[in-house]
Amino acid sequence: MTVDVADVDLSDRDFWVRPPAERHAVFDVLRREQPFAFFAEPEVPLLGPGPGYYAITRYADLEAISSQPAVFCSGKGAVSIQDIPADLNEFYGSMISMDDPRHAKIRRLVSKTFTPRMLERVIDSVREIVDDVLAQARRTAEEGDGTLDVVADIAAPIPLRVICDMMGVPAEDRAMVLAQSNIVLSGGDPELIENQDDPLTALLEAGMALAALMERLAAERVTDPRDDLTTALVTTEVDGERLTHQEIASFFILLLVAGNETTRNAISQGVLALSEHPEQQARWAADPGLDRTAVEEIVRFTSPVTWMRRTATQDAEVNGHPVKAGDKFLLFYGAANRDPAVFHDPQALDLARDPNPHVGFGAKGPHFCLGAHLARREIAVTFRALLEQLPDLEVGEPDRLRSSFVNGLKHLPARLTGVR
Amino acid sequence: MSRVEVDRERCVGSGSCEMLAPEVFEVGDDGVVAVLRPLSGPDDRALAEDAVQACPTRALSLID
Repeated sequence: MTVDVADVDLSDRDFWVRPPAERHAVFDVLRREQPFAFFAEPEVPLLGPGPGYYAITRYADLEAISSQPAVFCSGKGAVSIQDIPADLNEFYGSMISMDDPRHAKIRRLVSKTFTPRMLERVIDSVREIVDDVLAQARRTAEEGDGTLDVVADIAAPIPLRVICDMMGVPAEDRAMVLAQSNIVLSGGDPELIENQDDPLTALLEAGMALAALMERLAAERVTDPRDDLTTALVTTEVDGERLTHQEIASFFILLLVAGNETTRNAISQGVLALSEHPEQQARWAADPGLDRTAVEEIVRFTSPVTWMRRTATQDAEVNGHPVKAGDKFLLFYGAANRDPAVFHDPQALDLARDPNPHVGFGAKGPHFCLGAHLARREIAVTFRALLEQLPDLEVGEPDRLRSSFVNGLKHLPARLTGVR
Repeated sequence: MSRVEVDRERCVGSGSCEMLAPEVFEVGDDGVVAVLRPLSGPDDRALAEDAVQACPTRALSLID
């Protein structure tokens, strides 16, 4: 595919609903010809314009920036192009937008409740949740006209239930959690944020609702400890310090956003990718031994998080390219994950790809995905169950989320050909 | 025999090493990884090399 990148604006949300092949073709050109392409910032109502940002698309540059957190900081904002306004920072200013030493302290506090060993108990319930969700999805199709929505009926409920179980969120609060987390990660998509004149207020209200729920739960666990992550978070200490309930609320929002929506998109985009590569799907269905490499390839191929931001704290250079203090960089993970300097035949879905040093969970650095172990497990269990329990799933045309930040699907209509 | 050294300032307890070799590494109560036992034999050494490579914060080093 030949593309002209002169007219491309990565800040234009319409770019992000263009077909993936077109977007990959654009990134191929940027990576090859303009590895530090500069873009003006998107306009956000009520916020002044910022200086713009450089789009990082080469694997080596992305890794160099990510692995030098003192030179390329997260504290100016990692998940927004604009610097975070103070009132949003209260709810969204979690450790993903912090630097060491504060980041390291909170990260370690949370890490010890999120280790592979601690997750083993949770992981036992993942299979149960997946089986239950798939059975419900089949009933939905059978009781209706044989159709279902892969996003609403499969990809959304699985990680939501896993996280809500881990945190101990009561069943009656879960619909609210899903609705509010949709707003948080909507990227301003009109279907999810009704008031288009004031998306910041919608974001603020979503943050307040989630924080209020979590502060309530945290307070309950202090007097009535249970066997859940919230209890661990209110009681755990590092260097004699505990998380405040407000920090726990911020962390909960981070978990919802980072752990819930991303896994949802890995699943829905993965289902779509398999449907477009039936030979790979047949191969995986026949060979559970492929689970480990297949999960990594799904994460590489779908790259659920499109970018994180870093900001230069000083004049420096990246692989010989000079940068100035204050420069903003968006690390485009999906572009790095298709860098031919690192990946052979990068546009191909190869479920046996090994080694697969993808940056789908982030590149080297202190912000590497906290939930990578959990996500891998959720994805592995979900696809194994899908391949075995819904082999007759036939997907239609995806409805893409209009967001530059997450590679999301709003809907993925499908039908079970075995029904009727 | 070689051994693994943990840089306690760099480690954020991501558990990437523990995923690869739970019999050798465990993230402890301080949120920093601990080496559970000395390395023995070439299999251990290979595991340790993988863990050093996998660490997102480059907190592990193999000392010969």
